[in-house]
Amino acid sequence: MKTITAYKCKQCEHVMYPKHLRCLRCRGREFEEIVPTKGGKLLTYTVVNELPWGIDERGRVLGIVEFDNGIRAMGLINADEIRVGMKLMAGWEPVRVIGGEKTYGLSFKPK
Amino acid sequence: MRPVVVSGVGMIPFERRDEDRLVDMLAMAGLRAMDDAGLGDHPIDAVYVGNMASGLFNHQVSVASALVDRLNLLPAAADRVENGPASGGSAIKNGFLAVASGFCDVVLVVGGEKMREVIGPRATDIVASMTHPQAEYIYGVTLPAMAGMFARLYMEKYGITRKHLALVSIKNQENGILNPYAHIQMKITMEGILTHPQAHINNPVVADPLHLYDCCPVSDGAAAVLLTSLEIAEVLKKPIVQIAGVGQATDTHTLQERADPTDLKAVTQASKKAFSMADLKPEDIDVAELHDAFTILEIAESEQAGFFPKGEGAKAVESGATRIGGELPINPSGGLKARGHPVGATGVAQVVELVWQLRGEAGERQVKDAANGFSLNFGGFGNNVLAFVLRRES
Repeated sequence: MKTITAYKCKQCEHVMYPKHLRCLRCRGREFEEIVPTKGGKLLTYTVVNELPWGIDERGRVLGIVEFDNGIRAMGLINADEIRVGMKLMAGWEPVRVIGGEKTYGLSFKPK
Repeated sequence: MRPVVVSGVGMIPFERRDEDRLVDMLAMAGLRAMDDAGLGDHPIDAVYVGNMASGLFNHQVSVASALVDRLNLLPAAADRVENGPASGGSAIKNGFLAVASGFCDVVLVVGGEKMREVIGPRATDIVASMTHPQAEYIYGVTLPAMAGMFARLYMEKYGITRKHLALVSIKNQENGILNPYAHIQMKITMEGILTHPQAHINNPVVADPLHLYDCCPVSDGAAAVLLTSLEIAEVLKKPIVQIAGVGQATDTHTLQERADPTDLKAVTQASKKAFSMADLKPEDIDVAELHDAFTILEIAESEQAGFFPKGEGAKAVESGATRIGGELPINPSGGLKARGHPVGATGVAQVVELVWQLRGEAGERQVKDAANGFSLNFGGFGNNVLAFVLRRES
C-alpha cells in the first residue's frame, strides 16, 4: 500500500514528518526514510462543516494520528463513532482534487 | 537602539467594502495616521505594508509601490511584508527597526486586506494555503479546523467548556458595539448562542468543537501607524506612546510536530522577549489586544503570554477580569471576533487600539488610566507570533 514517507534522524533517532533538512531536535542532516506502521491512535480530531473551495461536502472528519512507530500525521477519519485515543488503521485514498488531478493521502478507519 | 514613538494612528471601519479597492483602503488608513500625527508635508522615509495575499484575493501585487504612488509619498522606500495573519505585526516590527536603528526618522506602516472580493469558500482556501502543502493542505484542512483540533485537546486538558468560549465571544461582541470601527455590531446572549434548545440554528458547527460564534468574521479593512524618532515626535506634539518592547518567535509549521500541541511556545517566547525589552512584567499591563481569531485562542494566549497561569485563563473570563473595567481588560476593541480580521490589517489595528487606549482617546470603551498596553499577533497556527509592549510616557 502506498503511504507517506517520514524521516528518522541518523544522529538522534528523532522521527519527523513532514520533511526537514535539519533535525528538529539535534540539527543533524542525515535521515533514514521510514514508513508508518499500519496502526496508530487518534490524538485529536475535528468535524469540518465549512470546507474550502473544491471540496463539495460537509462533515469531513480530519484528525491527527500517532502511528505505533511514533510518526504523527494528519489524515481523513472514516468512522461512525469517534473518540480521542481510539485505535485506527491507515489507508491511502484520493483526498482532494487539485488542478483537476486527484491527490492521494492518508485515511483512517477503526481497527 | 533609539526610542520609537507611535506618533500617528488611523484606520478605516472593518466591514465588507465592495466599493473600495485594496490600495484605496491602504491609502485612506495611511492618510488618517499621517493627519492624526499632524505630519503635514514632512517627508516619509519608508513605507511598510502588511498584507498577506493581495495576489490571490485581489490579483494585484506590489501594493506598497502602488500605495506610495497613490499618496504621493514618492520617493519613499516601499516594501510589502508578508507573514500570514501576522503580516501587520511583521510590518510594524520592520518599521520599528528602521526607526530604532537610525536608518529612518519617519516611517508609515499600513496593514490591510480585502478578503471579500472572493466568495467564502475561496477565501477559506486562500487562508488554508498557509498550511503545509503535503502534510495538511491536501486534506482540506482550514484554519478553523486547525483551531478545532487544538481546542479539543486544550478543552479536555484544562476543563474548558463551550460556555467559557461563549463568554469570550459575548464579551468581545459587547466591546465591538462600543467600537465604531468594528465589523460586527451585535449583542449576543448565552441563550442565543448556547443554552437555548435551538441555539445551534444561530450558532452552527464550523469545525467541531468550534461554532460560528467562536470564529472571527471575514472582513475588509486597513489600519496604519506613523512611527517616528523621539525628536520628531516632540515636534508633532501628540502624547508620547513608545513601542517599548518587540518580540517575535516561530514554531513548527505543523501542529502535529509539537511535542505538546496545546503548548503555543512561540506565544510565550515572543511575549517574554517583548516584556524583557520593555523591562515590564505581565502584571504591569493595563490593557491587552490578543489574537482571538477563535475564542479558544484568547484564553490560551492570555495564559501563554503570562497574564494568567496555565488553565486559569477561562476562569479569568468567567470572573469578568478580562472585561472593560476588570483587572486586565482584553480586547476592548472587540478583538478579531468583533472588529474583524482582514488578515494583514490585524497586527496594525491592535496597535492602533492600544495607542487610542493609552492616549485616553478610546471613547466609550476606554480602559481607565491605561499606561501600558500589550498586543499579540498570531501567524499561521501559532508558528510565527509577534508581541508588542506599548508605554505612554508621562
